[in-house]
Amino acid sequence: MNDLSQASINAFQLLLSGNAEIWEIISLSFGVSFSAILIATPFALVIAFILAFFQFPFRRVLISLFNTFMSVPAVIVGLTLYLILSRSGPLGDLRLLFTSKAMVIGQVMLSFPLLVAMAHASFQAADRRAWETAITLGATPWRAFFTLMYEVRFGLIAAIVAGFGRVVAEIGCSMMVGGNILHSTRNIPTAIALETSKGEFAQGIALGMVLLVLSLSLNAGVSIFQGKGELQA
Amino acid sequence: MSNLIDYKNISMALSGNTILKINHLAIPAHQCTLLTGKNGSGKTTLLKIMSGLLKPNSATIHYQGLELSWKQAKPYIQKDIIYLHQQPYLFDASVADNIGYGLYRAGESKSAAHHKVMQALDWADLTHLAHRSAKQLSGGEKQRVAVTRARILSPRLLLLDEPTASMDSDAKKQTSLLLQRLKSEGVSIMVSSHEMHTIEHIADRHLHLENHDIKLIRHTPSSNKVTLLNTTKKKL
Ligand SMILES: Nc1ncnc2c1ncn2[C@@H]1O[C@H](COP(=O)(O)OP(=O)(O)O)[C@@H](O)[C@H]1O
Ligand SMILES: [Mg+2]
Repeated sequence: MNDLSQASINAFQLLLSGNAEIWEIISLSFGVSFSAILIATPFALVIAFILAFFQFPFRRVLISLFNTFMSVPAVIVGLTLYLILSRSGPLGDLRLLFTSKAMVIGQVMLSFPLLVAMAHASFQAADRRAWETAITLGATPWRAFFTLMYEVRFGLIAAIVAGFGRVVAEIGCSMMVGGNILHSTRNIPTAIALETSKGEFAQGIALGMVLLVLSLSLNAGVSIFQGKGELQA
Repeated sequence: MSNLIDYKNISMALSGNTILKINHLAIPAHQCTLLTGKNGSGKTTLLKIMSGLLKPNSATIHYQGLELSWKQAKPYIQKDIIYLHQQPYLFDASVADNIGYGLYRAGESKSAAHHKVMQALDWADLTHLAHRSAKQLSGGEKQRVAVTRARILSPRLLLLDEPTASMDSDAKKQTSLLLQRLKSEGVSIMVSSHEMHTIEHIADRHLHLENHDIKLIRHTPSSNKVTLLNTTKKKL
């Protein structure tokens, strides 16, 4: 008990004193997850919009496919990507395994189905008159798409925040394709898991607090934005 | 007199049911056409086809000396014909920004657009609502914003889908007054309605949609036409 409270005090000191190692891990976590969401979001939004607004063969199949992929465990995504990126794998020559780039790719794969599914729900609930009004007032389809995104922006922001929340906290994929290498691929979840098992409690608790606060606020953010979206409708 | 636009052989089926089968629909310029028909007779479907928002199974369009398929005509009619929903959709922005939407899309400069929006607000007596959030307006106010937002683009033809349905008599009066002013400015208008009395006195022609086809009920009464020409001249 005494050990634990001492470790918690040390954890606060680590965070507040600007401990270089811990802040490096935090910034790597953010950097990787932000990049992944930044890359995944534009494609996910366009696909979600097309799935919601146009009729074409296999549309329903695609929608349920994205919904299904949403629940694929992170470690399975990691395993798949590992096999693709490993020396003998199809993309082995790119030498991406155990780099932060591989982590970004993994998180793009992880967040993509969630982004598409949630954005699709927003576009599905959007008013068709918004699209028709933009078009009849002379907007190009591309411009009308942006107008529509603005009209359902709260739902879309909720999707993006939820996507970020999923990837920033996942451990399976980052561990598999990143390898938890200090100064290069160690992010918050892999650091918590491995450093704590080595007896580095203070660091584990400090990073755990950061992740907990982050996850709680992201979840709160999702509900707030979803609530705003409903008020609008 | 040549027509603004001619639609020929419009046919439309939805889920296997024939909705429209129209041989010839002519829209004369600078007139107000009233389109009546029961609920479900296909008025909305027709107006959306006419404005390029809904693809028919087939249609030929004579427009500006060209004979085009609906698909070929789509870019032109989307640009020149504006469709107004029965319940207008206003964007989540101020009244002024809603009215300026089409101007910004057409690439007008900010100051030119602003000037036009100010004039339009004044025209529609909406200046006091300029900075209000459009989502908070009443149904009648929304309708006026939507009409103003369309008029500012000087469309060749304005299609209004049951603009007075589900309105109280006060809002109905205001809307019909607005239509009258549009007509006196020489804007070509087509108004659909399942009840005809509110705007009957404004209309030059009366078409009726029944059994998937259009019937001409009434031509331009000459007295009406003279007043229209006079007011148009005065403006010029
Ligand atoms: N998406 C659709 N699928 C199938 N039938 C439709 C669809 N939209 C409208 N309809 C049918 O087309 C007919 C005409 O509808 P509509 O044009 O809205 O009539 P109105 O505007 O005159 O009330 C109605 O019988 C309606 O049920
Ligand atoms: Mg209708």
